[in-house]
Amino acid sequence: MNFETTQEQRLLQDSVTRFVRDNYDLDSRMKLVATKPGFSAEHWQTMADLGWLALPFTEADDGFGGGQIETMLIMEQFGKGLVLEPYLASIVMGGGALRRGASAALRAEILPGVIDGSRQLAFAYAEEQARFDLHDVTTRARAEDSDYILNGHKSMVLNAATASQVVVSTRTSGGQIDEDGISLFLVDADAKGVKLDNFPTVDGLQASEISFTNVKVPKTRLLGELDHGFTVLNAVANDAILALAAEALGAMEVLNQDTVAYTQQRQQFDHPLADFQVLQHRMVEMFMEYEQCKSLLFRATMEIEAGSDTAQRTVHALKHLIGKAGIFIGENAVQLHGGMGMTEELRVGHYFKRLLVIDTQFGNADYHLQRFAA
Amino acid sequence: MDIELSEEDLAFREDVRGFFADNAHPAGSDYNEWRNGWFKKAAENGGWDVPKWPVEFGGPGWTPTQHYIWEQETALATLPWDMPFGIGMLAPILMGYGSKEQQERFLPDIRARKVNWCQGYSEPGAGSDLAALKTKAELSKDGTYYTVNGTKIWTTMAHIADWIFCLTRTDSSGRKQEGITFLLIPMKEDGIEVKPIITLGGAHSVNTVFLTDVKVPVENRIGEEGKGWTYAKGLLQHERTGLAGISRSIVALETLKAQAASVQRGNRTLMDDPGFRAKVAELEIDLMASEFTELRSLASAAAGSAPGPESSILKLKGTEIQQRIQKLTVEAGGIYSAAWGTRPVGHEFAKGAMGGYLASRGFTIYGGASEVQKDVIAKNVLGIKRSSR
Repeated sequence: MNFETTQEQRLLQDSVTRFVRDNYDLDSRMKLVATKPGFSAEHWQTMADLGWLALPFTEADDGFGGGQIETMLIMEQFGKGLVLEPYLASIVMGGGALRRGASAALRAEILPGVIDGSRQLAFAYAEEQARFDLHDVTTRARAEDSDYILNGHKSMVLNAATASQVVVSTRTSGGQIDEDGISLFLVDADAKGVKLDNFPTVDGLQASEISFTNVKVPKTRLLGELDHGFTVLNAVANDAILALAAEALGAMEVLNQDTVAYTQQRQQFDHPLADFQVLQHRMVEMFMEYEQCKSLLFRATMEIEAGSDTAQRTVHALKHLIGKAGIFIGENAVQLHGGMGMTEELRVGHYFKRLLVIDTQFGNADYHLQRFAA
Repeated sequence: MDIELSEEDLAFREDVRGFFADNAHPAGSDYNEWRNGWFKKAAENGGWDVPKWPVEFGGPGWTPTQHYIWEQETALATLPWDMPFGIGMLAPILMGYGSKEQQERFLPDIRARKVNWCQGYSEPGAGSDLAALKTKAELSKDGTYYTVNGTKIWTTMAHIADWIFCLTRTDSSGRKQEGITFLLIPMKEDGIEVKPIITLGGAHSVNTVFLTDVKVPVENRIGEEGKGWTYAKGLLQHERTGLAGISRSIVALETLKAQAASVQRGNRTLMDDPGFRAKVAELEIDLMASEFTELRSLASAAAGSAPGPESSILKLKGTEIQQRIQKLTVEAGGIYSAAWGTRPVGHEFAKGAMGGYLASRGFTIYGGASEVQKDVIAKNVLGIKRSSR
């Protein structure tokens, strides 16, 4: 048992911290939100140059062989600046599916571009009737000669509009909610029959609804084993939950710091707000929730990294707590900022929105509580 | 004690329902024309356009039960839009403290919805601590006008208002509650500038209002100079009970249930989900209690007594309930609640869910933050005396 980070990990953390501090004040972020791709291509290139995009890939794939701890360190700092570049969608999710499921030939074709920043990925797993169940899949893929033909619809696909390829979960056999019979494919975003409907999300990111109509995908683009794609799908979802939780932790820290600072500075009734005990206790509760999230994040990250038997259950616990605590902290940060907290002008509202969106992704607090208790 | 509605009350309810049905907005017809006509007909019914006004000013003189029935029915019907600032907030002050001339000058236009008012109370440095306000009003040497300088903030609908009623400081030598003067100011006056504030739901309804050397004739002052706080205090009480929105929440909860029942989960719906169901049930129980808290409050008001202790909790409970309904709507929307914009993605109802939820966070801030409300209850209702603060 050891909570110390290595020298290399600390260097990484410092470098991400500097990047966020130098580039992600609220004004700069809001300017990027208003631009066309909704993030900075220049920042993305910087991330490639600094090696962050190569981090989770093996050395054989020209990556750095980093693990969950490195991703956690990056995402926590990203959460402090609400970074817009699609690290989660392209590297953690899309990249995670490729490094686990793609053949050597496919990895050699796709990953160099992912790592050098010239190619982005997206991960399409959600369907309307499924709500939060990964294994409820109706998008179908049937074999035809050397191809598969895809038909169906995927929802809330992050970063699809800028991705060259999209990883898609499909049903190749079995019933609608069977874990067996799910297969993953890497689909070109500009393939015939792929239709995107793009829209912004509450937190300033970009997502799409995607429909697939007789989309032809070569058999070589299957990720993982036919009918056994759920293993990869679930592993990617767990990675995404860990990454989102780390990002949420960074956002919570900013909310707590801003609230403590604001209540000490804001005067009402001839006192700083922070003089009032009821508000002090509220901020202590916010801090306690934050610390508990951090503990569970460490626990889940280390268990997944170690391949522990209890890891899945701990991931459920983590996503539950992150959702609940994130909204508790966000609501109270706004409340303690009073009217100012309700404006777009202060950053608390923006961090709150991100925490709200994180709770909608990969299962909300309720969903994971039920999975944990099951 | 009797829970049944009397024959008269049932007949009244039928009248109200009939009126709403007969005067619903005909699809495609001109909205403003319909709106003006609606208020006119409501007035002809005997003060239905101003249900809360006293009889001597044209109100209907309803019993508490009738008010309650009206609240319930209005929550179910679609009424023309209306702003509370003139009808519900300024009017009672004019009736209580305004001169006969002021009443005759302002009340008819308020009643006819001809003039829109906004409320100039909060300031950047005076939110929960409203009495700390600093907007300065200086009387001219000849005593005919005030010169007003200062900044008001969170001013709802200032951008469409014709007039603003303002708390200003005419004296800062005594206690901060003293030396506050209540002034009525036309918005098109020179020196008034309105700047929009965009709130988390993405909406523009509140504003900052800058007043620079605005000249206000003394006849626009309500009551005496320096007594404005006394006049405003009663009004704040009015605003608070109005914010509870219990009837509206009862309707909103039913809508939420229908929405959740439309969300598939496997071969069942979200309303079959035990966790979600339990949260809806808890809300329903709180609403059942709050509905009767409101009725008790109405009854004690009708008996002529000061608002009882039960009324003090209405704003707290009511706003918290509204927030919980909004939060469950976001939960029901699932992944689609994250979509932002004007067109629906996935479930139709999820489109406005997050905006509604974010806007609802202001309900426990605006009109007196919940923490301050609790301080007031601790002091005035529980009778707790504090040695300091």
